[in-house]
Formats: sequence, C-alpha cells, structure tokens
Amino acid sequence: MTEPRAGGATPSSDEILRVDHLSKTFRTGLLGRRVEAVRDVSFTMRQGQVLGYLGPNGSGKTTSIKCLLGLIQPSAGDISLFGLPSRDPMARARIGYMPEHPYFYDYLKPTEVLDYVGQLFGLDADTRKRRIPMLLERLGLGHAMDRTLRGFSKGMLQRVGIAQSLLNDPDLLIFDEPMSGLDPVGRKELRDLMVELRDEGRSLFLTSHILSDVESVCDSVVILNQGVAIAEGPLDSLLRRDKLFSAATLKVPDEAAISALQQLLSAWPEAGVDQVTEGVMTLRLPSGAVPQLSARAAEVGATLVELHPVRDTLEELFMRKAVTGATAGAEGSDAPDGGGAR
Amino acid sequence: MSAHKTRYAGVTLQVTGPRASLNRISAVMGNTLREAGRTRLFYGVLGVAVLLLLGSVVLSDLALVDQQARLVQDFGLFTIPLITVLTGVILGVALLQKEIEKKTLYAILPKPVRRSEFLLGKYFGLCTLLLLEMAALSLCWFAVLTLRGGAVTGPILSALLLSYVEVMLVTAIATFFSALSSPMLSGLLTLGMFAIGRIAYVVIDLMSATKGVFAEVPAMRALGRVIVAVVPDLSAFNVSDELLLGWDVPPEYVLQAMGYGLSYAAIFLVLGLLVFERRDLT
Ligand SMILES: Nc1ncnc2c1ncn2[C@@H]1O[C@H](COP(=O)(O)OP(=O)(O)OP(=O)(O)O)[C@@H](O)[C@H]1O
Ligand SMILES: [Mg+2]
Repeated sequence: MTEPRAGGATPSSDEILRVDHLSKTFRTGLLGRRVEAVRDVSFTMRQGQVLGYLGPNGSGKTTSIKCLLGLIQPSAGDISLFGLPSRDPMARARIGYMPEHPYFYDYLKPTEVLDYVGQLFGLDADTRKRRIPMLLERLGLGHAMDRTLRGFSKGMLQRVGIAQSLLNDPDLLIFDEPMSGLDPVGRKELRDLMVELRDEGRSLFLTSHILSDVESVCDSVVILNQGVAIAEGPLDSLLRRDKLFSAATLKVPDEAAISALQQLLSAWPEAGVDQVTEGVMTLRLPSGAVPQLSARAAEVGATLVELHPVRDTLEELFMRKAVTGATAGAEGSDAPDGGGAR
Repeated sequence: MSAHKTRYAGVTLQVTGPRASLNRISAVMGNTLREAGRTRLFYGVLGVAVLLLLGSVVLSDLALVDQQARLVQDFGLFTIPLITVLTGVILGVALLQKEIEKKTLYAILPKPVRRSEFLLGKYFGLCTLLLLEMAALSLCWFAVLTLRGGAVTGPILSALLLSYVEVMLVTAIATFFSALSSPMLSGLLTLGMFAIGRIAYVVIDLMSATKGVFAEVPAMRALGRVIVAVVPDLSAFNVSDELLLGWDVPPEYVLQAMGYGLSYAAIFLVLGLLVFERRDLT
C-alpha cells in the first residue's frame, strides 16, 4: 500500500519503518473470545527520528512491537523494516531490541550473554572480544561482568538488555518500556544515553505508559488507546508548542464575576476554566489574552492572585484525545490533529 | 556471501550465506549445551545412572560366576539406552517451552536468526549432550564389564551406536511435540510413541497372523496400519537378541537401521519446524 498519508512525507529512501493498517486480534480461552489488541494502526519512521509509542497499560504497545519483530503474525496489515519484510535477517541485523522484561539466561554472565548474541549477529570473535567489555563498561556493568545474571537486580538486567541491543551497532533501536523499574538516577542516565544514541544518528522507537517519561527525548509520538492510534505526529505540533499559554488563579467575589469571566474566555477556543472552589477560580488562556483578563477582573472586582506560563503536556493531550476518541467511536484513529473539543 | 556494514564503528556483520547460518546454529547449540551443563538436574540423572551401573557389580555377585559378565552386559545394554532416551524426552519436551516461559526467546528470535536455525541448534545441542551422557555411562559400564571378565566387543559398540540413533529419533519426536504443545502433554505423547515404537513389531506380527483382533477385526486392522505407518519401529535399534546369541551385527544392517532412524528423525524435525515457524510467540 503506497497511498500518501495525511501530513506525512511521501515514501523516501530514509524511511526505515513503515506500518500500514496493522491489526492484531488474539483469541483466548476455549470459546475463542476475541481481544482486539491493535486496531488499524499506521505510521512511519524516518532515519534519525525518535518515536515515542505511548499509551496506557494494555493499549497494544508490546503487541505492536512483537508484530514488528515477527514474533507474532499480524491479523492484518503490512510492516516493512528498511524496505524489507520484518522476518528478513538483513532487516533484523540493523535492529537493536530490548524486550519489555529483559530476561536472559540467568545461568550466564553478562559477557556470555553478549557473546551469544554477538554470534547470532554474525560478529567475528575479535570484534566480540573488543566490543563486549566496552559496552558493558559504557552501561556501568564493569564491576559485574563475571557474575551470573541470577543475582542481578532489575536495573542491572535492564542494562544488560541495553548492552545486548547495541552490540550490532544498530540503525534502529526498539526499547519496550525502557524506564520501568529504574530509580531516578537510572532514569536520568538512560535518558542521557538515549540522547547520545540519537545524536549518533540512530533512530529510536520507545514505548512507555508514562507519557512524560519520554517526552523530553522524543521528536514525535504515536499515542495508543485500546489498540487505536488516537494521536500521531511531531510532538511540537501535537503539543502546540508554538503557542504560549498561561494559567491564572483569581479570587472572585460572587457568581456574577464568575460568569463575566467565563464569558470573556469563550472568545478563545483554547481557553477554559479548570476549577472554581470557594471563591477561587483557576483558568487557562492564551498568553496574549492576559491583559484583557486582568482588565475584566478589575471591572468585576476579582483579584488576580497568580499567573504563570504553562505548556501543553502529553498527559493533557492524551486525556483530550481519549475523551473525544471515546465519544466519536473508534474510527477517529487516522484523523489529523484537529484540536479536540474541551 | 554478503556483509552488511554500518556507519558508526565499522562493525561488520556476517548475516547471509550458509556459513553464517551454520555459525548461528552452532551458537544456539553451544548455549543449549552450556545451559544443561549448568543445571543440577542433568548431573543428578547422570549420578544416579552411574550408581546404578556400578550397582550391577553387586547384583552380578548373586549370579553364578560364569554368568556374571553376561548379567552386567545385559543390564548395561538395557539401562543405558533407556536412561538416555528418558533424559532426551525430559529435556526435549521442555526445549522451547522453557525459553518461552522464562521469556528468553523474545530477546533471541528478533536477532538475525531464523526460527529453523534456532530449533535445529536446540535439537543438536541436546543431541550432543545426550551423546556425552551416553559416552560417560558407557565408560562406567565398560569398566564394570571388564572387572567381571567380560569384553567390549564390536557387536556391543554397534548396539550402542544404534541406541544412540534411537535416542536421536525419540528426541526429534520430543522436539516436534514441544513445538506443538505443553511439556506435560508432549511428554506423555512422546513416551507413548516410544512405548508403542518399541512394541510396534508385535503389532506387525499380530496383523500378519491369521487369528486375533488385529487380524480379524477390520477397525483394529486399520488402527494397526496407522500405528505401523506413523510410529517408527524402534525394535530396529535393538540388537540385544543377536548379542545374547553371540551373533554378529552386520555393518549393512547397522547402516540400514541408521538410515531408517535418521530419516524418521528428519521427518519429525521438519514437521516441528513447520509448526514452530507459524507459531505466535506471545
Ligand atoms: N497472548 C495474548 N492473548 C490474549 N490477549 C493478549 C495476548 N497478549 C496481549 N493480549 C492483550 O492485548 C492487549 C494489549 O496488550 P499489550 O501487552 O500489547 O499492551 P501494552 O500496551 O504493552 O501494555 P503495558 O503498558 O502494560 O506493557 C491487552 O488487552 C492484552 O490483554
Ligand atoms: Mg507492554
């Protein structure tokens, strides 16, 4: 399928991943109850891109990855990696993958795990000898190289998982929930590493159910909800980073003042009241509208007690999209970002 | 042969070609061997078997002096293949399931390794392990045998060789079932096949007889035919009667039986590959 996609570039040589109308339905139990884990998801990735594949628990992220890697057969749709089918060894040779739960053979030492993986990648013995200690050092496992994985902590296993994914010097890294189970220091280190990998020119495909986790690393996102892609595109435009917003807190004397301010806000589609409790009102509005707000507040006897700039976050975007997606039905999956009603 | 070069660190990956494929199979083999070599179960089985063989010295004391070597010989010839086959079944049926349960498979299969290469590597790794096991047991047995005045003869070596072919065949059956279903069920099915296989010749005899259910009831005849067609006749690998009578085991026979066993093993492996290739690994 080669139809041009809304907002996306036409297929080009630096396109490394193309997912077209991917669906996966599981059948469970004796009755064959259907679980639609992924529903008609399409997106592409270019070389050098960092894509966040986000969504709450059970939204179909891991299932999508397993389809990408040929661990499971899609029920429908096409996947191409570097222009090749995903089971092609040549495509896989360019991928580094860290599974959701990086379990490796616990009777092996990290060096042995990496040596095994290196052999599967077709690295010769000299290269393995050179790269394996180097990678383990880079991931801070230098002190644990000669212990079996049996006694490793979750964070240490995660590091082994990352080390083995880098062994083949991959063009595309697929990390499933890389941040889960890491302490704050570990998260910071991993984020720095991912930025480093991006700066080396590699592409990253990251999943997370904590949207803010990867917000600082990604340049674009696909947001899933119950198997449906409810938002997709560059982060800047999805989060409307070109526009400035402000959050204001006002002390309001009476109902009349509240409705006067509400009426003022209705002039801007992006503006809205967040909360009114016991004479205190919090609201959001475009920063350009702040002078009007303060003028009107003075007229109705309200006092502006706090004003600060806000940025749209993925969490808010998700809530907006998930709510509109639920009311509009499942077919909103491929809709361009229309700025959901709020 | 082509290589893929990446841009960053001059790492060269050998991915395509038969040589690379063999390297991957041997990598999986090596890891399978190492895994078994680091589990206690394997050494437990090995230890018990060795004790059993050494115990046959005591057992042979009960026999008449001129019967002692004979007794040790029969005992070894019966227990060594049986123990090795059982090890093959126990480890074989869990070959894939263990990797799925421990989630180790998910990190390995996305590497540039084909599922067929992975399965073959696992199978041949297990076969190598079983060869080592059989060799260790046989050495103990030989020691006891010479101690009791017996000798390691050509027919004994032929018998061991044929037993190993039987081990390879039964392990292939276990591997096939492990690609298809759970270890528990696979174990039962494999042991069932093994038991029927060892007495398949009885069924053949019964069918060619003029009397009896297998000869007379059509449904049983049909069942008998299915058994004969599907289940390999494992008695082909049993030459203990020849040994008992002091006969030779002709090399042509050994070759023929090997061809029979290995073709059957290949069929089960291919069927296993077909199943595994299509399986969703969730
Ligand atoms: N083998 C399976 N059989 C049946 N249903 C499955 C199977 N694997 C996954 N599912 C279902 O598919 C849906 C998506 O699961 P998936 O693991 O892809 O979610 P996820 O986005 O990775 O979640 P998490 O953030 O918890 O990792 C879930 O409803 C899950 O129950
Ligand atoms: Mg997941």
